[in-house]
Amino acid sequence: MSSILTDIDLDTTMLLLPEILMLLGIVAMILIPNLGDATMRIPLTRTRVPIFIGGTRSEFSNNPKLPNTIASGVLGLALLTSFIYLGEEADVGNALHINEFSRLFTLLFTTALLLATIATSTRMPAKPKATPPLVADSDEVADSKVAALIDNRRQVDFHILLLTTGLGMSLMAMATNLFMLFVCLELASLSSYVLVAFHKEADVGGEAGMKYFMVGSVVSAIGIYGMSLLYIWSGSLDMVDLAAAWSAMETNDPLAIIGVGMMMVAFGFKVGAAPFHLAVPDAYSGASSPIAGLLATASKAMGFVALIRLLLIVTMPPSGQAIWMLSIALIAVLTMTWGNLAALTSDNPKRMLAYSSVAHAGYMLAAMAAIGSGLADTSTSSMILTAVVFHLLILVLFKLGAFLVLSMLESDGGGHRIEDLHGLVRREPAIGVAMFVFMLSLAGVPPLSGFLSKLLMINGIVSVSAGTGAATSTTVADWAGGVDPLFWLAVAIVLNSALSLFYYLRIGLVMFFESPETESGLRKAPNLRLAIFGCALLTLLFGVGPMSEWLLDMVTSAVDSMMGL
Amino acid sequence: MGESANEWNLLAPIIPFVLVAPLLYAQGWESVEAAFLIVVIPLLTFPAILVTGQIYNGNETWKNRFKEGGIFGLGALASSLSISLWIAYDYIAGSSHFEMHSVVEPFSWLTFDVLHYDGNQWGVNSGFADIGVGVWLDPVSLMLLFVATFLCFLICWFSLGYMNTDPINEDSNHRFYGEFVLFAIGMFGMVLADNFLWLFIFWEIMGLCSYLLIGFYYWKDSAAAAAKKAFLTTRVGDVFLMIGLLMLYDIYGSLEFAVIFEDPSTGVGGALVNSTDLNWALLMLFIGAVGKSAQFPLHVWLPDAMEGPTPVSALIHAATMVNAGLYLVFRMVPFVDVHVNGVAGLEDFALVVAWIGGITAFMAAAIAFVQNDIKKVLAYSTMSQLAYIFTGLGAGLLFLNLGEYHAGYFVIGASMFHLFNHAMAKGMLFMASGSVIHEVHHAHHHLHHDDHDFDPQDMRNMGGLASKMPITSTAMMFGSMSIIGIPLIGGFWSKEGIIAETWLAYLHKEPLMLGPAILVLATAGMTGFYMTRMWLMTFAGPPKSDVAEHVHEGTPWIKEPLIILTVITALGGFLLALLGVVDYLGGEKDYLAMHGVVDTLKHAFLPDDNELRAIGWTTILLAAILGPIMASRVHGGKLAEGVKANPLVGWLVNLSSKFGSQDVSDMANSQLAEALQRRLYFDDLYEWIVANTAIPFASFTAWFDKNIIDGVIKQIESNSVSGSVSVRGITTGSTRDYILMAAVGMLSIFALIWGVSA
Repeated sequence: MSSILTDIDLDTTMLLLPEILMLLGIVAMILIPNLGDATMRIPLTRTRVPIFIGGTRSEFSNNPKLPNTIASGVLGLALLTSFIYLGEEADVGNALHINEFSRLFTLLFTTALLLATIATSTRMPAKPKATPPLVADSDEVADSKVAALIDNRRQVDFHILLLTTGLGMSLMAMATNLFMLFVCLELASLSSYVLVAFHKEADVGGEAGMKYFMVGSVVSAIGIYGMSLLYIWSGSLDMVDLAAAWSAMETNDPLAIIGVGMMMVAFGFKVGAAPFHLAVPDAYSGASSPIAGLLATASKAMGFVALIRLLLIVTMPPSGQAIWMLSIALIAVLTMTWGNLAALTSDNPKRMLAYSSVAHAGYMLAAMAAIGSGLADTSTSSMILTAVVFHLLILVLFKLGAFLVLSMLESDGGGHRIEDLHGLVRREPAIGVAMFVFMLSLAGVPPLSGFLSKLLMINGIVSVSAGTGAATSTTVADWAGGVDPLFWLAVAIVLNSALSLFYYLRIGLVMFFESPETESGLRKAPNLRLAIFGCALLTLLFGVGPMSEWLLDMVTSAVDSMMGL
Repeated sequence: MGESANEWNLLAPIIPFVLVAPLLYAQGWESVEAAFLIVVIPLLTFPAILVTGQIYNGNETWKNRFKEGGIFGLGALASSLSISLWIAYDYIAGSSHFEMHSVVEPFSWLTFDVLHYDGNQWGVNSGFADIGVGVWLDPVSLMLLFVATFLCFLICWFSLGYMNTDPINEDSNHRFYGEFVLFAIGMFGMVLADNFLWLFIFWEIMGLCSYLLIGFYYWKDSAAAAAKKAFLTTRVGDVFLMIGLLMLYDIYGSLEFAVIFEDPSTGVGGALVNSTDLNWALLMLFIGAVGKSAQFPLHVWLPDAMEGPTPVSALIHAATMVNAGLYLVFRMVPFVDVHVNGVAGLEDFALVVAWIGGITAFMAAAIAFVQNDIKKVLAYSTMSQLAYIFTGLGAGLLFLNLGEYHAGYFVIGASMFHLFNHAMAKGMLFMASGSVIHEVHHAHHHLHHDDHDFDPQDMRNMGGLASKMPITSTAMMFGSMSIIGIPLIGGFWSKEGIIAETWLAYLHKEPLMLGPAILVLATAGMTGFYMTRMWLMTFAGPPKSDVAEHVHEGTPWIKEPLIILTVITALGGFLLALLGVVDYLGGEKDYLAMHGVVDTLKHAFLPDDNELRAIGWTTILLAAILGPIMASRVHGGKLAEGVKANPLVGWLVNLSSKFGSQDVSDMANSQLAEALQRRLYFDDLYEWIVANTAIPFASFTAWFDKNIIDGVIKQIESNSVSGSVSVRGITTGSTRDYILMAAVGMLSIFALIWGVSA
């Protein structure tokens, strides 16, 4: 213990400020809502001194908005500090390494969490079934109902879980040791299972959380088993050591290979890759929309960080094809096709978005496969990885943005049937248009950012593979016969995008052309509206023009810092 | 603004727009750096107008204070105008900056790799396609930019009076102004574009707006049909234009002006450009220009386009958009200019341009003889005058391709100058005709509320308006003089040059130029006839209906643009000719700014060359004397008893009555007149062709689409849906199955990894 403590100097500690803030936030979340007028008698005397913890709580500490305010503040500060420390690079202890790459992901996680927090601020009743008092209620009943409404215990629990998720994810992005990585991953995952089950307003919330937890824990067990095999094989879980051992390995050791395969299963579940994704649609449709959005963006990004570390740092050979390339490529095709096909007939928008998120995982895995093919030189690999990370970043805007819109509907009891979106543009023109922007961006329509990232990914795959058929061929057919199979991954993405347009545009169709079931607007929730408009605007700005270049430059330099360029 | 002086305060919102240019100047910007704002500010304004209009439709403030968005449109156009004036000042006055063109470095939007077949093998060219955005400025684009921004601004101003006082437009004016500003974006962007691709994109935006605005009264069948006709006809040209662009890309490997014009004689990879290939590419581009500028044989859409509101006719179908085709042909100068890196052997192309111009000029002028609709006369006149410019450009291209670069530059400069004169005069003529139509309609509305058969555009219902509309009649007189080419006024300075050089091209270079030369000379006289006829039918003689007796000029916002343009038309041509604008626009490197009054006049009326003198005086005789006198004999006459026109036009009315009147009803019933009435049967011919080719083909494709394509799509759709259902069937909802699938997945990964590594 002491050795670690002496290793850490104050400057490095400051670099962990986002995480420290989240930790302090958790402590504050436990303490502040418990502040009351409790006193303690000093033993053997009659003097009572106030100790403030417990007793009757004041209006301030009892305020149901308080936990949300604390969480937003903490996440906002964490977002700010991670932005300020974006360029810093340092080792913390011997299991964490801060660099641009990990800080970029802290940025992503905190942004997603902040958006989810904002979406929660106006929607969560104190108790699952709490209702406002009616005029007819007797005084006693009315009092108890009011008390139930203003109690903030439930919010406290919820927001603590949000912060622990953030803490786990953020630390996980800087782990250099597989064990550390797994612990942080589990910290985030376990919190997210509970968050899914937290949606007690819907009957399926508990069931969804339970299913997600069961499948998740089985898959985690597989991952940890794989990790232990790797440990047996090399004697270390440090990624640098593992990578050295991997490249020194002359004949493939079954122990190492099985270990890596098992870890791919664990991380594959996190990113929602087929066939490990089956619990994902259940979880998304059971969870409240902000949490579903969180799972679709932050949690998926976390899975991708783990996959990138495992596949590109530990097991990427210096030259030639990686052994995982074929399986990742096949999983990619299976994932995107499965996701898009299943989304096609989903009548529940949340389920549809869940399947769309599965399909997007497929696109990104295809890009990973292009890196694994060994055909890409270092700069091309960096370019493809940039596309993937860029896609993960902007997904926060339009995928989570779409969930935020659903969250608005959900707080009025809707959001899980496509009919709830009917005529949304007539009820709420601005919100409806924002939702349409999100759908177009998800479908990859220019000039929105979803187009740019998809274009970059396809471009990466094509530029790596198309040249392979070029050498002597004179006709297109000739060329197509000789081209590396990787090229067909790009074709698969294009075909799948065409398929996906159907269900994305269907949302637009019903929003614009169907008549709404009710003419009333949605609740005011100014913060949430602001967040939705912000997401929609950034979806556009990151798609074309100077801001997109700025973000791409940022991602490129982050990716280069991770790949040691 | 007329009656209510307090309407000036409505202009307050445009002040910040006008301040953009001075503020940027104060910030130390270069004018060309601000050039992109000419497009960007309207680009931000037009959705704002549409959206706000949709929300506040019917609101009193929106209607009265903001003129349903017109004020914002005017503001955006004012900022574009002020920035383009700033650029013009920098460009012309800042002699140290003077170069033939300057380019703002394009910024790159997307650069991607292209799969390319180079004749032997397929390969990936990285960074091959670079879609950049930049600004290209040279004397002609600067002139056209000024014309576009200036006329857009004035016509938007005019619209505030014309559109907003007509109850039929109420609550849909935001649509008008939104589309108007979008059109302006297209025009400004096309002029500023630094490569053919962006030029084409903005070209298409204009096409779209033309369609939307012709169909502004979409509930009228004739308007909807006219919009469709314009769109489809220009589309024919645009398809060829696109083919031409692809051919150019194939030859040069780029569509950027800077790359192509650097050395048009060497193509991609340093290969010498084959003149046959280039000939075809330019011809394809020219067909696009023919469609856009309404030239034979794609001219049929322009007269019908007059279904749109009059400001639209003034702006799009007379003063700006139709010039796009001319601009495109002007852009071809570097290709043919053998003096600097051009490709020899393109004379055939130049001849085609000149012939198309000559034929259109003559044909349109002939049809204009019999039109009774005031806007239709102007529409045919537009076609005819644009055709002059094409003829001039054709002659110029011919000269340049044969190495006669002084003559070539001169006639190209004259053509571009004619573009300027014509745009100013025709924009004004259309606004003046709008003023007439508006007031006649207004008067008719007062007199006969319920008679809907009355046509306020028919000149047979007018007559004698010279006394009732002093400003309009003056404006229209100067506009007509400029179009006719009355000595010293506007178009004279440019038309003379075109006709003279076309004849010189015939006499000294190419016998096949005889056709265009004769046609444009004849057209000069015909122009004198039909323009005079239009003016006399409208303004001279006694009133021909009770409506015409009750017209008076009173709508606010309409007069200012007319007065400004009258001054420009009357004096601008002479002043610019003094300044040597023809040489400047033609791109003469050793041009001298001031030619001096005596020199200029001598050059125009008593050139040293005997041939030139003969051609010049023949033109003047035909256009300024013979044509107008014949028109006076048929349509001239004194005003009604006791009314007087203002002296600026009164002399003309009185002069016209001196030639007596001649009955021409026999001629009006002749077969030729009938043929002209039917527009020489072109519309019938096209209709017949379409009915016998396109429609059967369309029914076949409809059948094919319905049964084969839709069948396949439906099959894909039903397969996808059943696939979707079966895939979702696997998601049973049972956790046991989920874990089972994960296990299957894991074992598959093992097998795959093991297989690969073994």
